[in-house]
Amino acid sequence: MVRFIPAPTSASPPHLEDQNTHGLLSAGGCVGEVELVDMLHKAEVSADLERLFGCELHTDTHGGNAWVDPGSATRSICGCEFKNIRFRVFQDAGEVTLRAKLVLQSGETLNSLPVVDREWRRFLSDLIHRSSESGVSPALEGFLNRSIWRKLMPVPYCFARIGLARGKQMEGKCWLMLDSLFPQPNAAWSDGL
Amino acid sequence: MSSLENLDESRALELSRQCVASKLPFQALPGDDDDLVETGLLDSMGWVDVLISVESATDIRGFGDIWPEGRAKSIRALADMIREARRRVPGEKPGESFAAGAQGGPEVSIGAWGYALGAVTVSTDQIESECAIPPHKIRNGAGIRSLQVAADTEDELTLGQRAAEAALEMAEIPAERIDFLVATSTTFLNLPSFAASLHSRLLLRETSGALDVGGACVGLIYSLAVAKSLLRMSSEAVALVVASEVHSRRLNAPHVPGEFRGLFGDGACAFVLTRGQRNSLAAPADRGGHAAVRLGDFVWGCSATFASSLGAKWGGNAGLTVQFKGEQLAHAAVTQMERILEILENKSGRPRTEVDYFALHQPNPRVVEILAEKAKIPLGRIPLPSATGGNLGSATCGISLCQALTDLRARPNPPQPPLIFMAAVGPGLIWGGAFLN
Repeated sequence: MVRFIPAPTSASPPHLEDQNTHGLLSAGGCVGEVELVDMLHKAEVSADLERLFGCELHTDTHGGNAWVDPGSATRSICGCEFKNIRFRVFQDAGEVTLRAKLVLQSGETLNSLPVVDREWRRFLSDLIHRSSESGVSPALEGFLNRSIWRKLMPVPYCFARIGLARGKQMEGKCWLMLDSLFPQPNAAWSDGL
Repeated sequence: MSSLENLDESRALELSRQCVASKLPFQALPGDDDDLVETGLLDSMGWVDVLISVESATDIRGFGDIWPEGRAKSIRALADMIREARRRVPGEKPGESFAAGAQGGPEVSIGAWGYALGAVTVSTDQIESECAIPPHKIRNGAGIRSLQVAADTEDELTLGQRAAEAALEMAEIPAERIDFLVATSTTFLNLPSFAASLHSRLLLRETSGALDVGGACVGLIYSLAVAKSLLRMSSEAVALVVASEVHSRRLNAPHVPGEFRGLFGDGACAFVLTRGQRNSLAAPADRGGHAAVRLGDFVWGCSATFASSLGAKWGGNAGLTVQFKGEQLAHAAVTQMERILEILENKSGRPRTEVDYFALHQPNPRVVEILAEKAKIPLGRIPLPSATGGNLGSATCGISLCQALTDLRARPNPPQPPLIFMAAVGPGLIWGGAFLN
């Protein structure tokens, strides 16, 4: 848990939740994952796409990520339960990018969401590191979508927080991203690697 | 499907330019050799969106997932990658060989399978008590030892998903490899339809089709027939066929006779179909696998003489109303399924004595026993999911087929190729059959 003092903030829509603070101090104690998800359920949540950001979502290509018009969105973050998830990994010499595809309770899908969740990105980096160290180079995507998926999906609190990236000035689009994904990955999940 | 198989350099370049331009709507298009990331025109997120845009436009699955080290992230490099991918097997992701045997051949095979049953086991005593049926009638009369019904958390989608995931796992392919889904469910009455809802639930790719097929208890056989035809008619290589039923909820209505409701359980089955001959889809030969089972001819018809033996109406204040003449229906089912077996003998040119397994619709196990006796087929060659699960509607003969295929797979020296007859009847009476070898 942390303690902070809110500072005056001039948030521009749709990033109305952004809050400047004075300092960020540990307040001791720790909230478990189940409790955390329980609390997030009490914040902004939606079972369908339209209520995620209070506006229509748009896509440019089949299977591509969705975006919203910054002027229409009424918030920039929202939680949702999901019924299924698939990962996709893009690798090049310099970088590994993790994308996810989700199906919500409503049956609607979100494609190619950039996963910016710190723990999941760290987990992916560890997987890559471990596989290169051990010389075992499994198809990373297959490992995520089979072994990790089997550990993730039975958890009773599958929950995602979807955020809006800040729109580029000229583009006029706020792209969706996967800010937090619960359950958070467990280092032991990569044991089968 | 793409018509880009013979893509020349200029067309590949043009396509790459379009995909890059869609990400840079307010900027002049960079030169073909400019590195889009190094020049700062795109960040890594934007670059991935370009890759997805190319994938969507060309239907090259997994396009750019692993970008070659040292290659520029330029329009020309994209065009080169498109042409290289096209020179490989169209539609195949590098490193994936599932559909490698599925090019151009006219034959369609079942490559993998899976099934799921409702999680709750209900005893016959409980069924008889709940459905106001005289004691022992379900066990002794129908031959059902228990029912498997859906838990509160389960429905047609969850069962269908579980069956499909099992089949995909056996096939060792990701869901993205499925070119189209053919699905059937009598009990799923919602819109979006069962196929559309399951397509979403499985996170199949947006360019893969979703098609619903009717047919009640014959629905799976009709779905296999439709999938086979589509695979043979198109350049699509991999189909997923799913049947899923949750009777326990749908039949739990005041106007449904207890002796009808008490026969039904909940379950789902799924099959991965591929075009072309492929060895050992379910288990490679070096892991004890056997040849894939080829879908042979299908037969079907509608014998309205028996139409009044079973009918159901939805709607109105009464909800679901079922008209059910048990003995007449059992007699009609046995007669019709025996006729289907005769037709399959003629179609396949093989007598029933040579058949390894019969995957049959099972109104209840007793009806199957009567059929086996009448048709002179050993009961041991009919996997009987209805004995412990109940009548599972369209999924019944599919789960019976799954159990037969699993049995074959476990045999040290399975017949090469095995011969399986499928037969089912449904209200109407519609009927259908197929042979697999």
